[in-house]
Formats: sequence, structure tokens, C-alpha cells
Amino acid sequence: MRTSRMAMLIAGLALWAGQAFAQPSQPSQPRYSAAALYNLANSYARAGKPGLAVLSYERAELLEPGDPDINANLAYVRALAHVSVRPRNRFIRLVQATNPTFAAWLGVLGIALVGIGLVARRIASRLLWIPDSGILLGVALLALAASNAMLLWPRMHEAIVLIDQAAARVSPAPMADTAFVLPEATSVTMTAEHEDFVLIRTAGGLSGWVARADLGAVVPPVGGER
Amino acid sequence: MRWIKFIIATLGLLAPAEYAIAQAENALAYETVEPSRIKIGESATIRVTSFGRLKDVELPTIPGLVFGETRRSEGFEFLNGTPIPATFIQIRVTAQFAGEFTIPALTPTAQSIGLDVVKGDEPNPYVWPSQIPAPPPPVAASLPKGVELQAGGAAFVHLAVPTRAVYVGESVPVEIELGLRPGIVTSVNGLPTLTGSDFTLNNLSKQPERREQVIDGSTFVVMTWHSALAAVKAGDFSLSAETPVTAKVSTLSAPDRAVAARLAWPLLQSMYNGIAPKDMTIGSSPSELKVLPLPAEGQPRNFGGAVGDFQVSSDIAPTSVAVGDPLTLRLHISGTGNFDRVDSTMFDHLDHWKTYPAKSSFTPSDAIGYKGEKVFEQPLIAAQSGAQTIPGLEFSYFNPNTRRYELAQTPPIEVTIAASLASSSLSALTGVRSLDGASATGSTQGLRPDHPAPRASVSDLRPLYFRGAFLAIPTTLALFLAGSWFAVRPNATRATSKAAERVLAELEATARAGNAASFFATARKTLLQTFAARWQIPADQISMAELKVRLGATGEDVGQLFALADEASYSNYQPGGADFQRWLSLVRDQLADGRA
Repeated sequence: MRTSRMAMLIAGLALWAGQAFAQPSQPSQPRYSAAALYNLANSYARAGKPGLAVLSYERAELLEPGDPDINANLAYVRALAHVSVRPRNRFIRLVQATNPTFAAWLGVLGIALVGIGLVARRIASRLLWIPDSGILLGVALLALAASNAMLLWPRMHEAIVLIDQAAARVSPAPMADTAFVLPEATSVTMTAEHEDFVLIRTAGGLSGWVARADLGAVVPPVGGER
Repeated sequence: MRWIKFIIATLGLLAPAEYAIAQAENALAYETVEPSRIKIGESATIRVTSFGRLKDVELPTIPGLVFGETRRSEGFEFLNGTPIPATFIQIRVTAQFAGEFTIPALTPTAQSIGLDVVKGDEPNPYVWPSQIPAPPPPVAASLPKGVELQAGGAAFVHLAVPTRAVYVGESVPVEIELGLRPGIVTSVNGLPTLTGSDFTLNNLSKQPERREQVIDGSTFVVMTWHSALAAVKAGDFSLSAETPVTAKVSTLSAPDRAVAARLAWPLLQSMYNGIAPKDMTIGSSPSELKVLPLPAEGQPRNFGGAVGDFQVSSDIAPTSVAVGDPLTLRLHISGTGNFDRVDSTMFDHLDHWKTYPAKSSFTPSDAIGYKGEKVFEQPLIAAQSGAQTIPGLEFSYFNPNTRRYELAQTPPIEVTIAASLASSSLSALTGVRSLDGASATGSTQGLRPDHPAPRASVSDLRPLYFRGAFLAIPTTLALFLAGSWFAVRPNATRATSKAAERVLAELEATARAGNAASFFATARKTLLQTFAARWQIPADQISMAELKVRLGATGEDVGQLFALADEASYSNYQPGGADFQRWLSLVRDQLADGRA
């Protein structure tokens, strides 16, 4: 009886989660695909708009991190725009090369392996190496998924400068003094928002308020661009 | 006697009149000489004007100058609108010698005047050689229509505005004339100003145009200011200008002046004594101006408020540079209108170029800034190499002459951008020449080619980790597994087995070491705990009898092991190696029986 209730609960949760993922998006919501974003970025690059090109490449890279074409064109456009990025070490490249969706499901599998291994180890008296191996593998998958998530977290707040000489002001007002200017296609981190301005921080540690229209968030908010 | 009384009475009555006549001899007068510089043999004219009756003047005797009265007349001078009797005398003076002469005053209240007599055509030392010749003599003119003399007929102000309707924001030229009679108006205390707040007036020049005009027989100095006026809202307005001046006016009341005027010359002194300088503001007659709103129909999106008639042109320099080098695009806007509303928004569409803030300069071609040329300089930096085209610039304005919005355009400009050193290096590394997809072929040159059309898409770029719906799955799974872990009871046999293995290993170690006391003590303790757990009784209640009852013959062996434990502890009993193995086997068997 107890087991049947637990099974019904799991089945209900799985059904709800499945419906949540399978639910069709609103007609007004944009649809994203790595190929479409990559092609769009190529169009922007050919039109001489490095800011929009880098933004689209970054979004495409979110969906297909290991795509060599995306990475090559992104580096190429950044080089032409004279925008530098911090080099990534081998571990970060390895972790970020994993598809985030795939890594997320690997994390779920890791949880399952660890949990099942622990339970099996509690009840088994022989062949304990099998649950031990499962636990080990599960922990590795969990570590991979956690690393991937931690490295992706800053990109949730990353934005690209869309215009050249974008003014970063000392306060969120159109008439405020300009603290510094940002070249087009520069990557910045969004730390706060106020009306039509966004407080950004550059890789060099400079902070200033930039007009929201001059920036493009790599991960747009749900419901489309703001 | 009667005649004597009559004569005395008559003289008494005439005494005030005689006094007045005597005072009139000292009446206000002024003298002028024209020209003030003559050659030997030429003549100049001295004009004597005296307020009141002037009986006669005594001509001076100056060696080298010959005087002769040529004309004498009596008339009226108008002061504060009141006619005052005056005497006018013209005296011709002819020069015989060269020199600088001072002619003493011919009337008691006038001042001496100077006359310069030269031999021939030598230059005038008081005039710069390059100076423009003396202006022509004043021309006779009449007051502009609708203009009235003020300050006792000594001044007037005239505001000339366009008679046509103007548009909001349109700059239109206006003219302000200020006429003054010198001597009566002693000073102008400020620049003319407009009355009303619905208009803006450009700054007036501090050096207005000056000319002399004879108006109604009196010489006026007329000063003219030119400026531009703009209306800030639509409607029918009345405009006027005013100026503060100081003028000599009569302090007598109008009735007193009328009485004095009737009494004429005998009692004029009272009027002269009543003339004093006074500060006042004189204004022009109102001028009507109709201001129309700019039509909303057909207004371009990029209209910035420029109203007038403009022409545009553009040029760029240099026309051939390298990527990253600056160019300067100049936009020339010339014509007439409100140049202050001509801005640089036309540069907003230079999408393919890096731009910096534009600079502007205005060069007026008139005194009021209504006509001229405004030049915008836009620095540009090319981001791409090759033949580039700067698109034509568009400028929208409203033309009040055609009454519609017009669009002025410049033609596109072709420039050649060479590759920069940095670009060349990059191209060498990547094997490309530009961002242009047409020149990038293959996967190793320039931009890599487009991908095939996608089959699947997502509606959210957020990774699964950061979506609540997804997080429910691992959370539920973890909770379920954790609950399972707590729900499942651990295998007791396996736990016992592990404990037994640990004990047997310990016994083997002590046997190898030959430590009999520790071996037997551990064996007894382990067996007691095993039996206590197996039989569910406390360990201290297990006796020899209990062992024999429950284990039979083995119980005796177990009892012997317990006895050897005491013996080894107190008598240093040392069994042989075979004995250790025997007792170890006994313990192993008992533990194995417990697991089974």
C-alpha cells in the first residue's frame, strides 16, 4: 500500500514535469535554435554590426557550446571589432563544451545513481562494488553538471554592447555625466537595473549605468526582449 | 503836470516789458558755422538761433575774416509741442588769410566757434587719409507712416516688421529706428526693447547705423538697429518697441505754457527757466503681426524645427584612407532662416561608420544672423575596407515661401578604404580579407558558412538548471531516494558478519604475536556477546551450566576456553601454536553458527 502511494506520487510528478516541458510556447514568444541564431549572427557580421553579431553568436553558443563554426566566427568578429575576452583554461573549456541540456540530464542521472547506489549498499550483502561504482559514477556526473551550471550562471547576467561608444554614466539619468565609453561588442555583466538604465561592470572592474537600449542580454528574459 | 503824470504812469506800465526785453537779450541761443574748414577766398555761413527776439548782433572784427549779415528772420521753434518765438540770423564769413580762427560768441548765451582756413588742397589733419569722405548733407524726409513725435517733438521710435503672416519659429528680420533731435535729447539710456513675451529678439548691436534726416524742418539723428525676431506661439499679436532717453522738456504745466505762448516774447524768460532734462521712455506705435502654426500635415519625421529657405551640400576629406583612420564629413547648410534650429540629426543614419560627436559653426552673411552658412563637421572612421559609400544626407525644413515642408538631400559620396595593418595581420591569420560574406568561401576563410535550416527550436534560452519546472525532477528524485534510504532496513546478518570478521582478524593477530592473555580475553568477550545476542539474555548471566545445556559437548570446550582466559590472565599461561588455532577455530565456528 505504501509502495503503491509512492509510485503514484512519482508518476504524478513526472507527468506534471513532462507537461511543463511539452507545453507549446505562446505564439508571440520567439523561438531559438542554434542554427538560426548562428545564421542571424553571420548576417549581422556581414552587415557590419559586430554588437548584434556577437550577441547572436553568444546565444547560439549557449545552445550548442561545442560547435566549432560558432566559436570560430565569434572569435573572428571579436577580433575585427578589437574586443578582447579572457582566455579560458582547459577545465573551463571542457566543462563549457558540454551541452547544458545534456549536462542537466546527466546531473539527474547522477542523482539517481548516487541515490540508488546508497540504497543498494544498504540492503545488499554481496557484490558491493556494483553500488559503489554506481555511486562513484553518479558523483562524477553530479560534479560535471554542477560545474557546468556554475560556469553558466554568470552568463545569465551577461550582456553585449550593441552600439559603438556607448556611454556609461555615473547615475541612471540621460543627462548624467559620462564615466567612460564602451566599444561595440564588449561583454559586460549586469548587476542592477533602474528604469531604462542598467548598472554594468566591465571585465576590468569599471561600473557605470548604460541605457538599456544600448545593451543586449545574452539570455533574454522570459517573454522576449525588454 | 497832467502830462508828466501820464508819462510816469506809462513808463511804469512799460517797465516790466522793458525788463522782459532786456532779459530776452540774454535769451538761450546757439551758433553754428558750416563748413568749419574753408580755403582762402571761400565763405562759410554762421547761423545764429536765439529763442526770443534778438534785436541785433554786433559783428566781430577779426583780421583775415570779413563778416557780413546776409539774412535775418523771425519765426518759431517747437519745444514740447509748443511754438516758441525765435530769431534766425545768417552771417557770411569770408577768409582772407590762412589759419585757425576763433570767432567769439555773437550773443551773450552762445559759445565761441572755430573756423579753419587753409591755403589750398592740403589734407585735413583731423581726418585720416583713408577715412571715407564726409557724409552727404542731411536729406529731407517725412516721418514714417503711423509714427508720432514724442518727447516734445524731439524723438520718435519706429518698429518695422513684416506685413505678411509669419510661422511659429520662423526668424524674420525687423528694423528699429530711433530718431533724436540733438541738443534736446541729451542721451539714450539703453537699447530698444520689444514689449510682449511671445517673441524672441536677437541681440541688438551696440553700434547702430546712424544718419541725419531733416524731418519737418528739424534735423534728426536717426539710429537704426537690425535684428531678427521669432514667434514662440501662433496668434495675432501687437508689437511695439521702446527706448529710454533723457530729453530737455518744459516743466511748466500745459496751461502755463499756453499763457506764456500767448504773451509771446515779452514774458518768454519764464518758459526758458522751466526747461529741464527729464528721463522718459518713448515707444513706437503698435505693429500688428499674424503668426501661423506650422502645418501638421506632411511634416517629415526628421523635422527639427528649421524654418526658412535652405540649400545643402556635403564634402569629405580625405577621400582615401586606411581602416581606422579618421575622415571628416562636412555638411554645408546655407540660406536664410532660423539656423539655431538646424541640428546634426542627419548624421544619425551612418550605420556602417564609427562616428564621434559632430561640431558645427555658423558664419553669418548679414548683421543679424538671418542669412549665412552653417557647417557641420562629422568625424568618421571606417570599419570596413574597400570601396565604401557614404549615404546621402537628408535635411527637412519648412519653407514659408512655398508654405510646405521640403527635403534637401546631398548625393552619396564614394570613398576608398584601404586595409589597415591590424586588419592585414588578422586576415593573414584567418585567410580572409573582409567581413563580406561574398569574399569568404570555404570553412577556413573569413566567416564560416551558414548552417542548414534548423529543425527544432526552444522558447527559452535559459539552461535547464535555472528553470523551475526542470528543478522539480531532480528534487523529487532526490527526495524519493532519500526516503527510500531511510525506509530500507539495513541487513543485520551482513552487519554481524563484518563485526565477526573484524574480531577473527584481531584474534589471529594476537595469536601470531603469542599474546595468550589478550587472545583468550577477546575470545571470551566475543563469545559471551554472541551468545547473549543469540539467546536474548544478559552476558553476565551466562553460566557454565547454561553453556552445557544450550551447546552440549561444545559447551564444555567453550567453558574450557573461559577457564584458560582466567588462567592466562593470572598464571601467564602460554599455549602452543596449534592450541591457538584450535581455540580460534572454535570461536570461528560459534560465530558462523550465529550468522547462520
